[in-house]
Amino acid sequence: MRFLSHAALLVALVVGAAARAEDLPATAETAPEPVPTPSELTPPLVRPYLIERIVITGGRRTRESEIRHRLLVKEGDVLDEEKVLLSRLRLGQLGWFSRVETHVERGSTRGRVVLFFTLTERNTLVISDLAFGSTGPQPIYAGFGLTEQNFLGLGMAVSGTFVYGGSPVDRPADPARFAFRASFYDPELPVLKEIPPLVLGLTFLGLRGEEITCNTSDCAELDGHFGGAPRLRYSRVGGEVTLGVRGPFERFMAGYRGEWLRAESMTGSVPSGPAPYLRDGNSFLSALTATYDRDTRNDIFFPTEGSRVTGQLVFSSRALGSDYDYSRYLLQVERAFPIGADALRIQTALGAVQGDAPFFDRFYPADFSYFTVGPALGRALELNFSPDSRYDALLAMAGAEYGIPLWSSGSFFHRGYLALGARWLWSAARAGVGRTHASKIPVSGDVALRFDTPVGMFNASVGYFLDDFL
Amino acid sequence: MNLRALARIAALACALAGAAALAHEVPASLPMTLEARNGRLRAHLDLSPAFPPDLARQVGNGLTNVIAVHLALVSQASDEVSALYSREIDILYDVWDEAYRVTVKDVDADRPRSQTLTFQNYRSLRSYLSELRQTDLGPLSALGTGSWIVQTRVEVNPISKELLERTREFIANPASGSRVSGSSRSVLGVMASYLLRGSDSGAEVHRFRSAPFTVREVTVR
Repeated sequence: MRFLSHAALLVALVVGAAARAEDLPATAETAPEPVPTPSELTPPLVRPYLIERIVITGGRRTRESEIRHRLLVKEGDVLDEEKVLLSRLRLGQLGWFSRVETHVERGSTRGRVVLFFTLTERNTLVISDLAFGSTGPQPIYAGFGLTEQNFLGLGMAVSGTFVYGGSPVDRPADPARFAFRASFYDPELPVLKEIPPLVLGLTFLGLRGEEITCNTSDCAELDGHFGGAPRLRYSRVGGEVTLGVRGPFERFMAGYRGEWLRAESMTGSVPSGPAPYLRDGNSFLSALTATYDRDTRNDIFFPTEGSRVTGQLVFSSRALGSDYDYSRYLLQVERAFPIGADALRIQTALGAVQGDAPFFDRFYPADFSYFTVGPALGRALELNFSPDSRYDALLAMAGAEYGIPLWSSGSFFHRGYLALGARWLWSAARAGVGRTHASKIPVSGDVALRFDTPVGMFNASVGYFLDDFL
Repeated sequence: MNLRALARIAALACALAGAAALAHEVPASLPMTLEARNGRLRAHLDLSPAFPPDLARQVGNGLTNVIAVHLALVSQASDEVSALYSREIDILYDVWDEAYRVTVKDVDADRPRSQTLTFQNYRSLRSYLSELRQTDLGPLSALGTGSWIVQTRVEVNPISKELLERTREFIANPASGSRVSGSSRSVLGVMASYLLRGSDSGAEVHRFRSAPFTVREVTVR
């Protein structure tokens, strides 16, 4: 049996709150220490104290001003314990501190107190991306990303991710494949005193990659000798600037994205098939972007209730100076349900691309499934190391994941849970042409161990192993 | 897929299953005695093991601290709960009066009770907190011939669900940019979100489970 729910007991407590002071418990008969006698019993006396000063200690890296403006109490206020508690929880949720403690001490005169916030700073530099793998065209590749969540103690996030594959197999003289992305995020950009702070995001991307363009998705005609495969060699350099507003649980961001693109079709020892779309030579992508994100999950690592809804729109047009006319829509919805101590998460995604979008802004089916039965493999930082270069304009995904918590009080491996997942995926190059068989079966599954550590959240997945071998 | 690949996948699956099996937390037991008075089952518990070593510092912080104790008498065979008992203790150390003001609320099978106490020093407060005596767990006859256990849950400064709801907005809005797709996957890959695990809220929950007992092991007074 699972233990009684706390909620049920709290109800009982509320029901039982009616005071009956005459029902005091009997004095302990075998108490090792003295227990109170009735003469010690007096009604509680809670005086309204005035906060004379607020002292913040332990914030070595974080600027004190960044802490003070997040407090819900200020000097001169009457001590409100609920506001103190909310302030403590609020500081704790920033992700900068492993512990936030509060206490009061006597002030200069009776009736005044000094309120202390004692902070224990945590590691805010975390691994935000880690990938390695092997495919026929790229025997080994790896990626690594770091994020500093409290950059210079200013509450801003800075992250960088790098993926490197080197030269393609059998082509040592070819340029190496790599991608990097650097991001800056300020969750509270002050603009005017009269309006709430805005959200600012900056992203820079550099990428050099290749898409193999055989007649078949697995390049079977080359019998594993991918050096002779025809290919599309391309590079991307650009970035995105976004500005937005945030409220409780949600944020809306709008921005501009610009990328300089260069593409070159390379012939191989076999005839080329259809290549993913990108204009030959130099081109420029200019687009407006919009993102709506509503996140009411109770926990990012192991949500047991709440939901996350994300809608993204990209609009690129010659009117913006772009060489590409297209729009891209992606809606992702996730909802968590508690089942005892376990959790069920339902995940869905719907996407559509209209117009002549460059291939990387279409949908790569393997990115949305646990594994594929076939040559496709999920990309690493938008770099495709598999021989399958089919990108789709329509996408629908539905899945469920059941999580079983395993531990919640480890030292380095702080928390962990076992995830059992299944997903159904449908995608098509365009309407009316039927499903793209990026995977021979539209369903994939996973058994994964996920753990939360001071340096990041990790995912050891059987599905990923399967993807390498199926 | 070749045999070697199958073997690697099977090994990973076994490792995951093994980790899952090892990770289950087994509740400890508390010192407890049982007796029957006037036909009712009474439990005496020593809650000392549930309190953190720095309890003195915590309860002396000049702000209200809460200790909640919940007991359940559970049938070992059917997992059915026969009786419930809850106690909530609010402790406020007055920094000017240098005394602990304590409000105790009890709910047992029969009646809700509330009392207020003042302790002049931590020693006597600690003694009071550790002893949970004469806890009423219902009529002795309810035990029948079956085997039972007492489950105890001790919470130090629990955060209420309502308060969590009010602070969840601070958990949201992770510190990432607008780009929510395009993350990498790997066998040991980092999940697609930034680390935003909440800090230690200061709340502690301890679960205990007694050894099974039957009505014959209850001392009748």
